[in-house]
Amino acid sequence: MNHLFSLFLGLLYLLIVLALLFWERGRRSFLLAIRSLWLHKLRLVLSVLGIIIGTAAVISLTAFGEGSMQDALDDIKRQGATNIMIRSLKPPDDSSTQRRTMVAHYGLSYTDYERFLTISTVTRRVPMRIFAQEIRYLERMHNGRVVGTVPEYAEINQLELAAGRFLTEDDDYYMKNVAVLGSKTAERLFPFNDPINQTVRLSQHFYKVVGVLRERMPFGSPQPADSSSGGGTSAQGIEDFNNDVYIPLQTCKVRFGEKVFIRQSGSRSGEQVELSQVTLTVEDMDKVRPAGEVVKDILLSGPNRHYKNDFAVTVPLDRLQEAERAKDRFTRLLVLIASISLVVGGIGIMNIMLATVTERTREIGIRRALGAKRKDITLQFLVEAVVQTNVGGLAGVILGVSLVYFIPFFSAEVMRTYLPAKLDPFSIFLSLGVAVGVGVAFGLYPAIRAAQLDPIEALRHE
Amino acid sequence: MATIVSLNDLVKNYYLESVVVRALRGVTLTVDEGDFVALMGPSGSGKSTLLNLLGCLDRATSGQYYLGDEDVSEMDDDQLSEIRSKYIGFIFQSYNLLPQYTVIENIEVPLLYQGRKLDAETKRFCAELADLVGLADRLDHRPMQLSGGQQQRVAIARALVNDPHIILADEPTGNLDSKTSEEIMKLLQKLNQTGKTIIMVTHETDIAAWARRAVRMRDGLVESDLRNDGRPPGDPVSSPDGSQNGLAAENIMQHLPHPTPYSN
Repeated sequence: MNHLFSLFLGLLYLLIVLALLFWERGRRSFLLAIRSLWLHKLRLVLSVLGIIIGTAAVISLTAFGEGSMQDALDDIKRQGATNIMIRSLKPPDDSSTQRRTMVAHYGLSYTDYERFLTISTVTRRVPMRIFAQEIRYLERMHNGRVVGTVPEYAEINQLELAAGRFLTEDDDYYMKNVAVLGSKTAERLFPFNDPINQTVRLSQHFYKVVGVLRERMPFGSPQPADSSSGGGTSAQGIEDFNNDVYIPLQTCKVRFGEKVFIRQSGSRSGEQVELSQVTLTVEDMDKVRPAGEVVKDILLSGPNRHYKNDFAVTVPLDRLQEAERAKDRFTRLLVLIASISLVVGGIGIMNIMLATVTERTREIGIRRALGAKRKDITLQFLVEAVVQTNVGGLAGVILGVSLVYFIPFFSAEVMRTYLPAKLDPFSIFLSLGVAVGVGVAFGLYPAIRAAQLDPIEALRHE
Repeated sequence: MATIVSLNDLVKNYYLESVVVRALRGVTLTVDEGDFVALMGPSGSGKSTLLNLLGCLDRATSGQYYLGDEDVSEMDDDQLSEIRSKYIGFIFQSYNLLPQYTVIENIEVPLLYQGRKLDAETKRFCAELADLVGLADRLDHRPMQLSGGQQQRVAIARALVNDPHIILADEPTGNLDSKTSEEIMKLLQKLNQTGKTIIMVTHETDIAAWARRAVRMRDGLVESDLRNDGRPPGDPVSSPDGSQNGLAAENIMQHLPHPTPYSN
């Protein structure tokens, strides 16, 4: 709808420009307007300043808004719009239980995982076991994460391999000691040699490297994880996958068990988690939300129900729609800001045009005496107003577009923050179309006033 | 000799709040083709009002005004504009050139409002008119770069460009010194001798002396109407003879797309 409207305005703009240039009288009025405006260059600049700033603001704000929205949407889409993510969460009353039991037992279990099978619309279940672990190769060490998972993991995350292969069914079935390295892990451990068929150590066990992943965009923001700002937000904040090492889930279960001990300022605390995350893929977008409800029901009912609030169900589709709604709201806000600034600019034009009409009363009288009809005078001043707003509009487009290209560069180079910008070509047409509209709307009254002047009075005017 | 302007009991009243100003109180006047009329009278006599009515800038309260064959007293604003662009040439006291335009473009302006396409042909014609008034070397100058006399010459060329029925001159020498005035009057006289009908408002008798006929006005009425050569105004004007001046205007007029509608 929005795009159609901008397209309409853009076409209108092109049509008006073409009509002006091909229609004899239009071209003459256009040249006259240019010439009359050229007599007062400073005045021209000042009078169209409002339009320039308005247009530039619309274009650059739209681009930045669009950019960050796109960023957030891409992020959500990367998580998959048909996916449901269930994560294990440390329950909020953790500190009290920890004192009593030493080991905090929480999160999703294999039983839960099996029960998800009862949801008929689920086509794929990907369990994950994720924990922090030192990854070693010879004397090198990298603080990364171990992700125990199944081969389908590659599909739901659209993994790209830099070398080798991802985990296979056989790896899982035979509980092989194989590992696939994230790009950063591989880079840290194997700066000089090829990691494939080398052996890395996780805890006490050795794993053969069978594959290396390409660099992955983290959820939350497509920037390196060492920078803390970002456009989007995902449930667990920014997750950097490049430090991961992937091993088969069965291997992980056997080698590591479910308990993980974390050394923290001298004291040891343990966590027992069977599965850190289960990602379900639903066959159809429409069935995602009902499936999400069923997931909650399953986890909160039955003999194995969770009494503690130790899981979180994330439906990226919800966030997608939320983000799209936010984008719509943002667009509406922009249109409002744009209309305000363009109305302000238009009032500036009207003011100048009224002054111009008064100043050029004599010229109007002369033209009337020489045979100009009222509509000729109207046209002349209307074209002049429209040319002014278009000069402003075009200057604003140039300013706006250069801002769109310059500001992200500036912020990346100087402020070290990532600012996504996506130039919307329709915003250019929109602002030019609006510039014509503002010119006509605010130029009409002065132009009609000019035409209504009595020729005799006008000729006598000093 | 064809009658080009025919006024019959022309009345013009101005309504200023409660007061009615009777500027013209029944003027009856005919002007023949090729005549050169000086309209004289003290201020407030109605000569400017009459000139405005003649120039179709205003409409009479009552009475008829025939310009050529057309009754212009009943026309609306757009029709009057068309009459002005086709049949009337204006020369003003303060020249009234358009500052944005060069000399040649100023001359073109009336053609522009006839809806005529401006091409090389009209450009050449305008250049010839500029040559006629002696400004052939100033075509691309702006009005601000010209002297008063030169500006008035441009205005005269502009008044000729649409080949008007009548040229209306409102004190054409009012802002000029006596030497330049004489040049301008000579130019107007030459134009008149080529057949142009000129009606000129002036209050200077020595300027009026250039005309063939002097109409004096007082209190909104024609007071006297005399020929300079002593003949009464009813007498036909002697046939205009431009050949003795060797003026090129006749030839130039042939370039105009429409022949004068009243030619016989």
